[in-house]
Order: sequence, then C-alpha cells, then structure tokens
Amino acid sequence: MNSIISDGVIHVSDRCKACDHCTSVCPTGAIHGHLGQKHTIKVAKCINCGQCLINCPFGAIEDQTMVTAVKSALNDPQKFVVVQEAPAVRVALGEEFGKEPGFNAKGKMYAALRKLGFDKVYDTEFTADLTIMEEGTELIHRVFKAVGQEGFEESGPLPQFTSCCPAWIKYAEDNYPKILPNLSSAKSPQQMFGAVAKTYVAEKLGVKPADIFSVSVMPCTAKKYESSRPEMIASGYPDVDAVITTRELAQMIKDAGIDFVNLPEEEADKLVGTSTGAATIFGVTGGVMEAALRTAYEILSGQSLTNVDFKPVRGLKPVREATVEIPIQALGGKVLPVKVAIVTGTKHVAPVIEDILAGRSKYHFIEVMNCPGGCINGGGQPIRRDIYTEGGLL
Amino acid sequence: MSTEHVNGKVLKHGTQTRTMHWIHLVAFIVLGLTGIGFYWDIAGIASIFGGPANASLVHRWTGVVFTVGPLFYILLNFDRFARFIDTIGSFSKEDFAWLKVMGGYLPFIKVDEVPAQDKYNAGQKMLGWMIIIGCILIILTGFPMWLWRHSMSAVFLNICYNIHFWTAMIMILLVAGHFFLAAIHPKSRVEFASMMIDGYIDAEISAHHNGKWFTQLEKTE
Amino acid sequence: MTTFAEKEGMTRRQFFKGTGILFVSAVFMGVFSKIGFDAYAASDEYIAKRAAGLYSLDESMTLRKSHLNPEIAQIYKDFLSPGEVKPLTAKSERLLHTRYGNEIPALIEELKNPNATAENEAA
Repeated sequence: MNSIISDGVIHVSDRCKACDHCTSVCPTGAIHGHLGQKHTIKVAKCINCGQCLINCPFGAIEDQTMVTAVKSALNDPQKFVVVQEAPAVRVALGEEFGKEPGFNAKGKMYAALRKLGFDKVYDTEFTADLTIMEEGTELIHRVFKAVGQEGFEESGPLPQFTSCCPAWIKYAEDNYPKILPNLSSAKSPQQMFGAVAKTYVAEKLGVKPADIFSVSVMPCTAKKYESSRPEMIASGYPDVDAVITTRELAQMIKDAGIDFVNLPEEEADKLVGTSTGAATIFGVTGGVMEAALRTAYEILSGQSLTNVDFKPVRGLKPVREATVEIPIQALGGKVLPVKVAIVTGTKHVAPVIEDILAGRSKYHFIEVMNCPGGCINGGGQPIRRDIYTEGGLL
Repeated sequence: MSTEHVNGKVLKHGTQTRTMHWIHLVAFIVLGLTGIGFYWDIAGIASIFGGPANASLVHRWTGVVFTVGPLFYILLNFDRFARFIDTIGSFSKEDFAWLKVMGGYLPFIKVDEVPAQDKYNAGQKMLGWMIIIGCILIILTGFPMWLWRHSMSAVFLNICYNIHFWTAMIMILLVAGHFFLAAIHPKSRVEFASMMIDGYIDAEISAHHNGKWFTQLEKTE
Repeated sequence: MTTFAEKEGMTRRQFFKGTGILFVSAVFMGVFSKIGFDAYAASDEYIAKRAAGLYSLDESMTLRKSHLNPEIAQIYKDFLSPGEVKPLTAKSERLLHTRYGNEIPALIEELKNPNATAENEAA
C-alpha cells in the first residue's frame, strides 16, 4: 500500500503507442510526452483518477492492483472479510458479463460476493446515507454561522464543497490549498465505512477489529490512493485494507467460474447494508447534491417532501447550478434561497474556485466529481469501445 | 508483336511525372522507415531523426508532402492523370492473358509469347490500383491520428491505427516488389530510365512490351 | 533519332474516368468520416445509460431519503450519539471526519494518541 502513495496508482505501460490521446482527458496535465514519444505520468501531479486509463485507445495504461491481498484475506481463516460496494458499481458490473450499461446488477453483485467467500456483504450506500447526515448537518451549521446564528462560530466558511471524491481532494490539496477550509470535513462513504467496520460492526458482531479485513469495490482508481492515505486509521487500523475496481471484481468472478448472469438476486447483510434511493444516486453527477437536498430540506423545514426529485441538479453538463428555496423552521419559517452548483470534470472547477477566493461566489454548496458524468464513468469501471449509436450504421 | 527492328526512342514519362514519382518515392521511404521505427520501437531508427518525438514530426510532415504532391500533380496535369486512369482502368482479354502467365516474370511459369499490352502491362495496372487505394487508406487514417487525436473517440483512433499499419505493411511489400522489377530484374529494369532519369525508353522495347500503346504514338521528329 | 510520344490532351471518356476516380475517392472518404463521427457520438452514450440505471433504481426503492434509513438511526442511537440521532459528536468527528493538506500530520498524531482526546468523548 505504501507504494501506492509513493508511486501513484496509475502508470503507463510499454504498450503505449504515443498517440497522445490521453493528454486531453487528464484533468491536471500530469501526463508528459509529445506525439510520437512514449508518455509517462508525473506522480506528483497525478490525482489517480484513471480517466487516461479508460480512454486509452490501446489499453496501455494500468492501475496498481490489490486483488492478491484480497484473495489472501479470503483464504485466511483467521480473517473476517467484510466488503462494501459503491452505487456506481451495480449499474456497470453487468457490462462485463454481456449486459447493457445501466443493468441493475445489485442483487447478483451481493450473491457473487458471497460466493467469493466474503464473510459479510454490506453496502457503501449505508455510509453514503451517513455522509449525508454528517455533511448535511455540517452545511446547516455553516449556514447558521453565515446568517449570524449564535453558537456556530467554529463552523467553516461557505460555500461548502463535497469531499467524497479523492481525486478532487488531491487536486484541491495540490493546486488550491487556500480552498481547503471550504471542503467538508466529512470523509467519503468508503472511508466512513472502513472506520465503522472496525469499530461499530466489530462491536456488534463480537469480532476483534484486528481480525477484520475491510474491502471495498469501487468504480474508481483514486479510491485505492484514498484508502492508503496515512490519516485513514481512525479505527486504530487501516480503515479500508484493500480496494478493488469493478473490472477487478468482474475478473475475480470469472476466475472463480461463477455464472454471474444466472445468479439469484440476494440482499445485503443487515446492520450496515441498508440502502436508500438517495444513497444510490451518489454515483452520478448531481446525485450527492440531490441526496443532500432531500434531507436538508426536510430537516430545515420540518416538512416532508412528497416529490423527492430535484431535477435541476441532474444532467451531464460540466457545470450546472440551481436555486432551491427552503423554509427554515429554526428561523421562523423564513425562506432561504439555497444556491448550489455541481461540477463534473475537474478541469471545470478552477473558475469556480477562483470566484470563491476572490469573494464573488454566490453559492452555498458545491458538489465536485472528477469524472465526467460522475463515478459511473470512473477510472475503475468497465472500458467501453462503442462504435455505433442506438440508431446506428448497422 | 512486330518482327522487324524499330529504331528510335519513346518519351514515356515527362518531367512533371518523373519529379512527382521521385518526391513520392523519397517520401514513402522516409514514412516507411519512421513508421517501422514506431511500430517496433526501434531506437536506432528514431535516433536517426533525433528521437521519437522528432521522428514523429518528420513522419507527419512527410505525410503532408506524400499527400499534397500527388494532389498538385493531378491538378496541374489533369489530362495526364485522366489518361493514366483510363489506361489502368481498361482490362482487355490481352490483360487477362498476361495475368494468367504473370507476364513471364515468374521462373516456374513457362511462356512463349506474352500478348501485346497497353502503356502499362496488366501487372502494373493492378499495382496502380493497389497503390491508389493504399494511399487513400493510409492518408485517410493518418491525418485524424495527428489532427484529431484529442477529439476523436478512442475506439476510432484504434481503428485508424490498425488500418494505417496494415495498409503500410501491404504497401511496403508491393513497393518492394515494384522496386525489384523496376531496378533489379534484368528483363524489366530496362525501363528504369523512363521513370527515374530522362523519361526515354528504346522504341524497340516499347514496340515489344507495350505493343498496343506503341501503335498509338506519334512521331515527333 | 526518331522520337515517339503520346498525343497530348484527353478524350471525354478519359476526363470522366479521371473525375470519376476523384469522386469515388471523395465518397469513400465521406463514408469513413461518417463512421468516425458516429463513433464519436456513440462514445459517451454509456454514461447516460448508467446514470439512467441509477435513477430508476432510486425510483424503485421505498426508502429514498438518507435520514429515514433505519440503520442510520440505529448507528447513531447505539454508537455515535447514544440515545439520540445527533451528528457531529466528538466520536463522529474522530471516526467520520478528516482534515486536509498540512493539517494531516496533526490529525495522524491525534488518531495515534487517542488518550489525549479521550476526555472529549464524554459526550
């Protein structure tokens, strides 16, 4: 795991044809090389997002793997192996077995993980909900501070940025350290899960935390970096021991000879495995924002939402904004127009940050996802080689 | 086929044609060499040009010459181009008969008499088409990989790359054969000067090898 | 010395053959470019499809709001803020929150020495 921090997650193999396609998808300009010259990745600038990997026309870019560690743990009778899976995995995993993108493989995913030998199959969506609780409350506190409510002086400044995307976090740390106070202090759902697994779950199940091996299945290569960060030890142990991508899970399933498409639909284990729809949409750009708004609206207004869709925050445009009017019960029902922004694709975030640093930002809450479209298009997802559209040439 | 001896010489290819052929030939060698250096990662080839990035630069701009050269020629010499297409586009029973015996060039096919041919024999006509198609494919896939390498989809870039490589391989083989017949094989290299030096070929040879064309020619002095 | 040469100019038939070849080449290039543009248009469709998959999964679920997840209430009441659902307690801060950039070394120190902050966990 240490080499992931020192060497980075992504590297260009010898199969590079120097076609120079990747430099245009890299959000930080971390890829070096002219057309015709084999390209290399500068580890210091790389945010491990894997966009170059999934867009390489020759599959010449690779990510470091932790699969061996997972397989060892599964084969180790001493280890109690728990697994969590991100929302974006379940609508893409099926593609590795011939299904269309968007196919709901949730139930089969749980079944496959059990067949692979995981002791408990939970779900990152549980901690996605937990993130909403923590981050949503943090946002409310920052808003109260901004409107001058007493008792919230310690809270952070507005606008608040989401902090679940580790590529975005590293980008902010590398390029805009002044914006770090605006990042939510909440960990990502993956890391919250890891901390919870070796404390709360250990306690409830009566398992020694040292015996727990915590695995996550992610659509993301930057999550490998995140899990290896030295501060991610809140439980007293590495909170997440290993991360495998959707592609790697599919390969493990194939290697084990599991007939994926014919698996029965199963459910996640209870305790930290229950999902909500709000957690499910975390995988798409605008999803974290919408989930946060569903909860923030109800908590702040004291009212129940019948229609939970916040369509203005949806879509694939790189920068989107919306205003949501929320009546604040604690302020006597006063309506606050909450201005939110959603950024997908790190290369579009700089102007938004510059506005904030210059004091001219109008937003309260901003969601940033590095990958265009959100985690569903992450560096760990199945690689697409589509030529024809629906209507198509053939 | 005439039985009497013919005196004199024939101007087979004019100055513009020969210049175009030389430019295209040199460009092809540079392109093929740099291309092979890229595909098989041959550091020796790249270093001739000052490294892989420079070799790529040379490859691209030579590709421009390779493309623009013939286009210019066609524009300035449209009549010659039209006559050329007419020649290689006409296949008569004499052409098919030539193909059956491969013009007598293959040592294991015995032939007494090769039927009279046009300005270019049937084999040369076939080569003409393959070079035209090959050049179109290689140019069509080459420029997008340079100019639209960032915007086009990854899978299409992969397709362009593969078509470009395979077309190049086939063309290199064809050109190698073409070079062998044009410069080395004792029976066919007699025409060497007609494209590579002054454009002339002995009338006796044209009358024998390109009989149908020879009868259409005018005496100019 | 007698010199022979071709007649100059071209016949109508030759003209049409010449332009015909140029036309056919242009058509061929057009078809190839169309395939390229189609590939370009198709290359991002999978993203919208995966997104649609998540949104319809959301619509199919009975629980659609994070704060109504019963396991969430349970983890707060049983563990993070015993007896109530209260985010941002000291325990939550330690397990579920983090710091960035140059605040990380201090955070690592705190996490490795939990006794120093144990008195804060009385809440």
